[in-house]
Amino acid sequence: MTLKIALTKGRTEKQVLPLLAQAGMDVEPIRNKGRRLIFNDDPKYHTILAKGPDVLTYLNRGAMDIGIVGSDILDEQRNPQYDMLDLRTGRCRFVLASTANFDPGQTRRKIIATKYPNITQDYFATIGEDVEIIKIEGSVELAPLVGLADAIVDIVETGTTLRENHLQVFAELRPVSTHLVVNRLALKQKQVEIQTLIQNLQKAIQED
Amino acid sequence: MSKRNLPVGTRDEFGPETERKTQLTQLLQERFTQQGFHPIKTPVMEYRAVFDAMAPTPENAYQFLEETGETLVLRPDLTLPIARVMSTTGITPPTKWCYTGDVFRIKKRHSGGYNQITQSGVEIIGYQGLKAEWECLLLAAGICTELKLADVTIELSDASFVDTVLAQLPLANQDALKHALFNKDLTAYEQLLKHLPQSQLTAFLAAWPWLFGPADEVLAKLPDEPTIQASVADLRKTVAFLEANCPSLHLTIDLSSQSPQPYYTGLVFHGYRPDANDYLFSGGRYDRLLSSFQQTRQPAVGFSFDLDALAATLPQSPAVVPTLIYFTDTQWAQAQALAAKTPNASLCLTDSLAAAKRQAQGVGANLIDLSQEDAQ
Repeated sequence: MTLKIALTKGRTEKQVLPLLAQAGMDVEPIRNKGRRLIFNDDPKYHTILAKGPDVLTYLNRGAMDIGIVGSDILDEQRNPQYDMLDLRTGRCRFVLASTANFDPGQTRRKIIATKYPNITQDYFATIGEDVEIIKIEGSVELAPLVGLADAIVDIVETGTTLRENHLQVFAELRPVSTHLVVNRLALKQKQVEIQTLIQNLQKAIQED
Repeated sequence: MSKRNLPVGTRDEFGPETERKTQLTQLLQERFTQQGFHPIKTPVMEYRAVFDAMAPTPENAYQFLEETGETLVLRPDLTLPIARVMSTTGITPPTKWCYTGDVFRIKKRHSGGYNQITQSGVEIIGYQGLKAEWECLLLAAGICTELKLADVTIELSDASFVDTVLAQLPLANQDALKHALFNKDLTAYEQLLKHLPQSQLTAFLAAWPWLFGPADEVLAKLPDEPTIQASVADLRKTVAFLEANCPSLHLTIDLSSQSPQPYYTGLVFHGYRPDANDYLFSGGRYDRLLSSFQQTRQPAVGFSFDLDALAATLPQSPAVVPTLIYFTDTQWAQAQALAAKTPNASLCLTDSLAAAKRQAQGVGANLIDLSQEDAQ
């Protein structure tokens, strides 16, 4: 049976393709994709390229069997499907960051800007703090610089963007990496194919 | 919001799909009552506390306040209201109920899911033995056969299996292993296994997250440990029973998944097809069900069909040409008699033949004109 894979396009796609190739998939059509978003030449694997949050939407509706997506999106969207494998690529981390004069101990209720309100809420709940969250769609670093928020919760890979904007890390929240997620019913319907792919990927991860 | 909009997650139902769903509902209720199940109907809204035994507590239920301040919900489940009936009305078990109704579960907004789903099922209350499970399985399988659904897989599992195995392990943090197992989080699961000493269970534990698939293969993979073997005795008997009585079914076993609700205590089963996105039916034994309402336990088994999933999986019937019957005021009896014996016919209520012809042409229907007979 054909496995239907939704792959997060962009950086995740580039980082994961070598692993998928090692696991036996022909990824050349995706490497030379041009403007294509759907790849169904290989009878074993049909692949689509989609934005991270949409990967989960396709998966939840059963339109796709497997999703390859960052754990930031899985956590933020409260993913209900099987999060089966950490592919150990796309590694970065969630941090609390702000300008140098930010006081984490301030008594006033903090205002936090983020693209990830659920993850932000989870973090402050674990340290027993209640904060106001402002949802920002991109370039979150701007928020503390222009006084919209006291601090931000965002993903950091190397820290360059933070440094360029004169922001510092005040707390490390949780690590992020790319995961392989499987639709619950698809795992039953295509057990052999999915198990083979996962075992091949596990080998590929260990060899890396 | 405009009065022209539907609330997110709802839909109007009409057309061929709704006709299929209505026919299915009738068929299922007929089969259930033929087998001696009694219809039961509970209210669409209940006190929230009725659903306390569900997990997670109905955060995904529509909630509102009664004038007394008590929280009401639109029922997210049909089994717990029946448990409430059993524990408050003095009906003496054993009893067999059948029902059809809508359940309401709020899904993520704009995700393509619907919040109102129709279920049709049965509850058998008061029987301890496997015969109750088997009657449910035969009923579900029989309905699938009658609907000519090929390729139906029945998946069996047991709600007590995972805890039975975990009890054998020298493990402080059983919940973490259970969580990783149920969520098939292989990365976390393998990390947790590293803390366990080698034992005769080691090979089995490594393969546990994959312990689902064809029934015979799964049973053959179980370790020769008496407690574990004893815990699957009912499963083995049920597999043999179904192989003997429903040879056309695919039988699988899943011993690594969480049961659908925490109130399940024994055999759990689901039915699905290879191309479907949802289970067609689900059920099992829940002897703890009534303990949410009363002190004593009461054996109970039940299952329900997801009528929306079932209707979606049935082949589309070919489009039929409708027939319209035009008649005069004095021909009511004749027209009604003709409509009753003509397939897909309905009375055309226009006041002129010309209008009837226009209507028939517009919808591509055959037109039978009785008015000419009247004129003769």
